[in-house]
Amino acid sequence: MKTYLSKETFSQISPSEFFYRNRDLAGFSNPTRSLYTSVREFVENALDACDQKKILPDIHLSIKAVDAEQSDPKHYILTVKDNGPGIEPKHVPHAFGTVLYGSKFGLKQARGMFGLGATMAILYGQITTNKPVTVKSCADGKTSDEFVMLLDIQKNKPVILKHNVKEATKTGLAVSIVLEGDYSKAGSKIRDYVSQTSLITPYASISFEDPSGEKFHYPRIVKEMPPPPTVIKPHPHGVDVETIRRMIVDTHYQIPPVDNKMIEKVRKELGQKKNLSAKDILERAQKRWSELSRPVRTIIAVMSFLNIDFDGLQKMRIDDIDVANKKITYWDFGESQSHSIDLDPESPFYKQLANTVQGDTLVTFLTKRFQRVGPTTAEKFCEFAKLKPERRIGSMTNEELVRLADALQKFDDFLAPDPSCLAPLGEEPLSKGVMKFFNPEFASVIQRSASAYSGFPFIVEMGIAYGGDIPSTGLKVYRFANRIPLLYDEGSDVVLKIVNEMDWSRYKVKGDPPLVIVSHICSTRIPYKTVGKENVADRPELERELKNALQYLARKLAVHMSRQGAADMAKKRANLYAKYVPLIAQFATELSGKKKEPNYKQLIKMGSEIEEQIQ
Amino acid sequence: MKNKSNKQKTAEARKEKLLSVLQDHGVNIYNDLDQGKFPQFVIPSRSVNNIVYDKKIRQYILGNARAVRSSRNMSQLRSYTQLAWLAFFVNRLIREGKSSTLRDIYYSSQAFSIDFEDQPESDNIIVDLEAVTSSPREEFHIFPEERSSVFGDLTIEYTVPGYEGKRVNLSDHPDGYLIGPSLSSAELVDTSAELVIAIEKGGLFTRFVEENVHKKFKSIIVDTAGQAPRSTRSLLRRLNQELGLPVVILADGDVYGEHIAMVIKSGSANAAHLRELTVPDAKWLGVWATDIEKYKLPTIPMTESDIKRIYDLQKDPRYQEGNWKKQLEVFLKLKRKAELEAFSKYGLTNITDKYLPAKLEESKSL
Repeated sequence: MKTYLSKETFSQISPSEFFYRNRDLAGFSNPTRSLYTSVREFVENALDACDQKKILPDIHLSIKAVDAEQSDPKHYILTVKDNGPGIEPKHVPHAFGTVLYGSKFGLKQARGMFGLGATMAILYGQITTNKPVTVKSCADGKTSDEFVMLLDIQKNKPVILKHNVKEATKTGLAVSIVLEGDYSKAGSKIRDYVSQTSLITPYASISFEDPSGEKFHYPRIVKEMPPPPTVIKPHPHGVDVETIRRMIVDTHYQIPPVDNKMIEKVRKELGQKKNLSAKDILERAQKRWSELSRPVRTIIAVMSFLNIDFDGLQKMRIDDIDVANKKITYWDFGESQSHSIDLDPESPFYKQLANTVQGDTLVTFLTKRFQRVGPTTAEKFCEFAKLKPERRIGSMTNEELVRLADALQKFDDFLAPDPSCLAPLGEEPLSKGVMKFFNPEFASVIQRSASAYSGFPFIVEMGIAYGGDIPSTGLKVYRFANRIPLLYDEGSDVVLKIVNEMDWSRYKVKGDPPLVIVSHICSTRIPYKTVGKENVADRPELERELKNALQYLARKLAVHMSRQGAADMAKKRANLYAKYVPLIAQFATELSGKKKEPNYKQLIKMGSEIEEQIQ
Repeated sequence: MKNKSNKQKTAEARKEKLLSVLQDHGVNIYNDLDQGKFPQFVIPSRSVNNIVYDKKIRQYILGNARAVRSSRNMSQLRSYTQLAWLAFFVNRLIREGKSSTLRDIYYSSQAFSIDFEDQPESDNIIVDLEAVTSSPREEFHIFPEERSSVFGDLTIEYTVPGYEGKRVNLSDHPDGYLIGPSLSSAELVDTSAELVIAIEKGGLFTRFVEENVHKKFKSIIVDTAGQAPRSTRSLLRRLNQELGLPVVILADGDVYGEHIAMVIKSGSANAAHLRELTVPDAKWLGVWATDIEKYKLPTIPMTESDIKRIYDLQKDPRYQEGNWKKQLEVFLKLKRKAELEAFSKYGLTNITDKYLPAKLEESKSL
């Protein structure tokens, strides 16, 4: 099989070691930031796990000092417990004991990107305190497995120190690590994080016990979970050359591994248990060809060219099938030698092998592997890219692949990305969250329809709240991305930019208003500016959506303000006339020398009803 | 002795006239309220655009622009009520023969839930009522704090409660009589004087009394205490109009002194809404700029603000001709000024013995 992997060898480092060397990038630069990041990673993993299984999340977070008498930075025990689906015991060591084990590679919206953060936190804890991580998991609702583990950083392998099994009644996961942190500095951010998470996750119940023993509890506000996102195929605009390469590799049928299991399968499909000669195998296969599965066809095609039976098959390894040069290269275990033989293009099996190895035609590849691409669009695209529609992707050269990737980015006639992979919170839960959280005099929310930048779909949700319990300390913006509060690097964020560019006086908002904006961006890829994932970059498509959402809400607020203003003005008028007209009557009575006061009641009424003239 | 034939009536008549004006306003407001109409005041506009110099009556007057203050307009309701209250309160003051100060008005308002934010606001409403009734505030029995004095053979008859009909001769007390509410409302009965000398400074006023200027020049002496208060200007006008006495003015030899004389003669822009405060025939005796050299008076240099004031006054229509114009030019040329006391260099009585007779003689030709 032809591969694009370089034959050169590098001295490898394990992913654990890579992350250890680059921990600053992942938000573990100092004890303050590390404590905050660890809290985030565990809480977000817990919420994601519950979301995936449609379980209303019940999250408990606690941070305890190992020795309360010590001064910061010191060792803390961080524990996050959820009522999620748990992890099957056999997967626990790998899930928490190796880096890069995760199930979040599909294209859909999730809080974390790859589930690496939790392992990073465990790694950080181990580096700073040399203490193991404790994971309790119950996946079946009956038994709970407790693992105490360390990570072997060089080998990227878990080292299990203890493993207990206990009875349990509910599914869920509890992770506890010991790490060096600085709660005196990180505390306010962590409290903000927890409270803001409860705002954007109103269907979750979240409790937090801080090192002083103070408990913060955020009860569930809505009982309905927003619809979960679905996993979808990528959009053509959202892939690069490397992604296409990977897609091609798993698109064209790989040569199936030839092991006992596969040989069993071949025998079974041929309907013959006993040993067959190479010739018998081919004869039987040709009779039953249409019933054979694809891997079996491929194996048989290879056998036909090599003219071997099952015994022969077991003694060799196929290294490369070069369709272009019509050659098969294989390794003979018996001879410990590499052989190369020519393919006969006239052979009935040649086509089968060629199809398998060369992969689909470009048109099939496009329609099968990308979202919202039909045959017509695919044909048009091929014309645009100056590539033949029937070209087999497996045989494309490097230059052609680059041209393909480039054209995928530039072709404008693809449909907009499919937003079904997104999971916005929804207007009602957001509105309830905002009402409960701020108890404002006025609130409004909007969910914009889906849009996309560079092939990544996104949805903007926004809420505005005014007055009530909100203090008059000026506009405050709460930023969220994929249901995560963004607390750092506020200044350079696109949402802040949009909010600050607004001319609020046009919407009857003046001075230091009791005003709150809640912004939630959902996307399969949030365009963060930095690795810290705290501020969103200003993509024009995103800016436009944010601006439209904000203007819509500001108009709603303006309507409220003018209604409020009119009501205030009417009240003020009524008060003024009720106060001054009787005084005028009193003065006029004495001045005119009359005894009885004039009948001025009607004037008070008229006064309070006059429409304010526009000056 | 100059006697006034209809002397009893003058002060009383003005009072009655004002009371009837106020009552008319009261009746109008009352009727409007009763008929469900929003009452309003029409106030001559006092904005700079509406202040014009009337050459005929030789003073600043208001033009024809009028402002309506309506109780229908919410933003004017408060100031409308304030004005109605002031009319009501002034009516009481006059009827009860009580006097008050600008400060009093500000505080009195509080008993009626009329909330003036500060005294400037209440002072402004007082000027509004002056404009509405065309009467100076002294007639409302509202007086400023500053007081000036008068001395000379003038018999007056009080009209204030408790002193009605009582007569006093203003030469009985050598320190002079305060020109206050009771004197302002008194009837001017008779006098032997043939001249009124208004003098800017209290010190000189005392000197003039000591030197018997009132006898030597058959004059009534008035201390204006700087820029003459309205009550003083009002008295000067009455002496001139009711008793037919010419008025002459002596002030410091500087631009401010010249303008003190001008204000007595033809009023100020601030009081353009009032017409009973000027003495158009009053004469400025000195000290002129030309006198400084002529009498070789000791001088002091002008300040920058003095010079600026000269430039300002040169734009005033009243300073465009004659001696007024000439003296400003000489002041500007000299850039020095001389006070009335400067004559003391030649002896304390020099001003009364030499300067005053000379200037009175000179003034006959003016």
